[in-house]
Amino acid sequence: MSSSDLVAIVVTTIVFGSIYGLVSIGMTLIYGTLRILDMSQGSMVMVGGFVGWGILTVATWNPVVALVAAFVVTFVLGTFTELISVQPLMSRRGEIDFEMVTFITTFAVAIVLANLALQIFGPFQKNVPPLIHGGVSILGVHLDYHSMLMAFTSILLMIGLGLFLSRTRWGFAIRAVAQDLDAARLMGVPVGKLYPLTMGLASALAGIGGVFLGALYFASPTSGDLPLLTALIVVIFGGLGSLKGTLYAAYIIGLIQALAIVLVGTTWSLPILYGVILLVLIFRPYGLFGNPSEARL
Amino acid sequence: MSDAAPILDVRGLTAGYGDTVVVRDLSLSVQAGKCVVIIGPNGHGKSTLLRAVSGLMKPMAGEVWFDGERIDGEQAETIAHRGMVHIPQGDGLFADMTVEDNLLMGSFPKESWKDRQATIERVFELFPIVRDKRAQRARTLSGGERRLVGLGRGLMREGSILLIDEPSLGLAPVMIDNVYGAIRSIVEAHRTVLLVEENFTHIGEVADKVHVLETGSIVRSGSLEALMADRTVVETYLGVL
Repeated sequence: MSSSDLVAIVVTTIVFGSIYGLVSIGMTLIYGTLRILDMSQGSMVMVGGFVGWGILTVATWNPVVALVAAFVVTFVLGTFTELISVQPLMSRRGEIDFEMVTFITTFAVAIVLANLALQIFGPFQKNVPPLIHGGVSILGVHLDYHSMLMAFTSILLMIGLGLFLSRTRWGFAIRAVAQDLDAARLMGVPVGKLYPLTMGLASALAGIGGVFLGALYFASPTSGDLPLLTALIVVIFGGLGSLKGTLYAAYIIGLIQALAIVLVGTTWSLPILYGVILLVLIFRPYGLFGNPSEARL
Repeated sequence: MSDAAPILDVRGLTAGYGDTVVVRDLSLSVQAGKCVVIIGPNGHGKSTLLRAVSGLMKPMAGEVWFDGERIDGEQAETIAHRGMVHIPQGDGLFADMTVEDNLLMGSFPKESWKDRQATIERVFELFPIVRDKRAQRARTLSGGERRLVGLGRGLMREGSILLIDEPSLGLAPVMIDNVYGAIRSIVEAHRTVLLVEENFTHIGEVADKVHVLETGSIVRSGSLEALMADRTVVETYLGVL
């Protein structure tokens, strides 16, 4: 392995791992807190992409405005999604298969959002410009500034989420609800407000990821499908509901993909990745850091 | 008995699960600064009573008045904000959070959160063993330590009443002594307490009034001394001494 191969592997791992982490961590946050697999998370990536396109391509405003706008729009949309697809079922949690029903209701929201995007923006892909143009070459490996900013922002947001959960009153409340709902209610945690807040926050992280991914690929009504699949794989591989597991899984998947791309070639990167995931899940069906009986934030 | 209005007034409460009635037409009251103990065998409705009072379950019938306001049917989080502190059976600690974070969660209501550091120091002074374990995850604690953390967390906000569910459950005798030492210090600080317990051996240290619960109804009431003097009560409900 040459030194340029090594640089390519390290860089690809960091870039892929960081963006995988960013689009997946919200799903883990939601599963850990609400015990639902939120199928609308891919739509938030898609919406973030369109917000990026509207602000960077149409309005030609500052990239910071695009990131802030994507955060706000997807936060509101995530909150609204919780209110219409999860909250009405909360009081009947004991009577129904809550995980399965909310899997379907959030998927329904995703379908509606994709079709709304199709209606408004049409079926054609929209080009989103990089947030920063240009790049640098290290040992013959080209690194574009956009990917570097994407990795840096993702890492920063994940650290920010960690600090929010470990230092703030509402962060404490989210962790408490994830671990013992009744005890959290006895502490005075208003779960009726906390659940929409959690889904809003998780969606906002996916929305920011959407701006970066939109620029890396494009924005379209179906551009959230692949990130949704990736997020599902990452959170299941890491262990449902485990934040630590999600972060490790994101970077391990990034590393496997980087090794496969550099050493074997792009064609075989996905078959190798899914082969490894298949093997791991056969031996650890609850994922790398999941608990056989329950998962915790 | 004091003439003052009780802090907690339960009137004809009926509660249960599905079609099964566990607590039947139960009435009791707790005066400010007093410790009322409900004693009864396992499965006769002690925990259900506390859950119905604190809002974790909706009563089927009856009324619950707290601090002069009717609260039955309100959500547990709303009742918690009113100043009711319920320490549930099994402590309800957040297993993957540290002892310190568990205590801080006790100060979740906004008005308590701003004073949390001063309050936690007071809890540490009251229970020094909890200070020593502050950085440990709750899941690594022994049963007795968990119970003390649960009590400490209950003191992290200015509650008008503490509902304590079977604090001696599953503990070794030496740990029960420690836990009841902590409860005694809470009662001596004139906090209002409603405690349910299967084990009567320690309640004499703390109880102002005792109710005996059987199949969801109160069948005897009085001071522990008066109940202990009643041979029928001792043999039927408290066991042979």
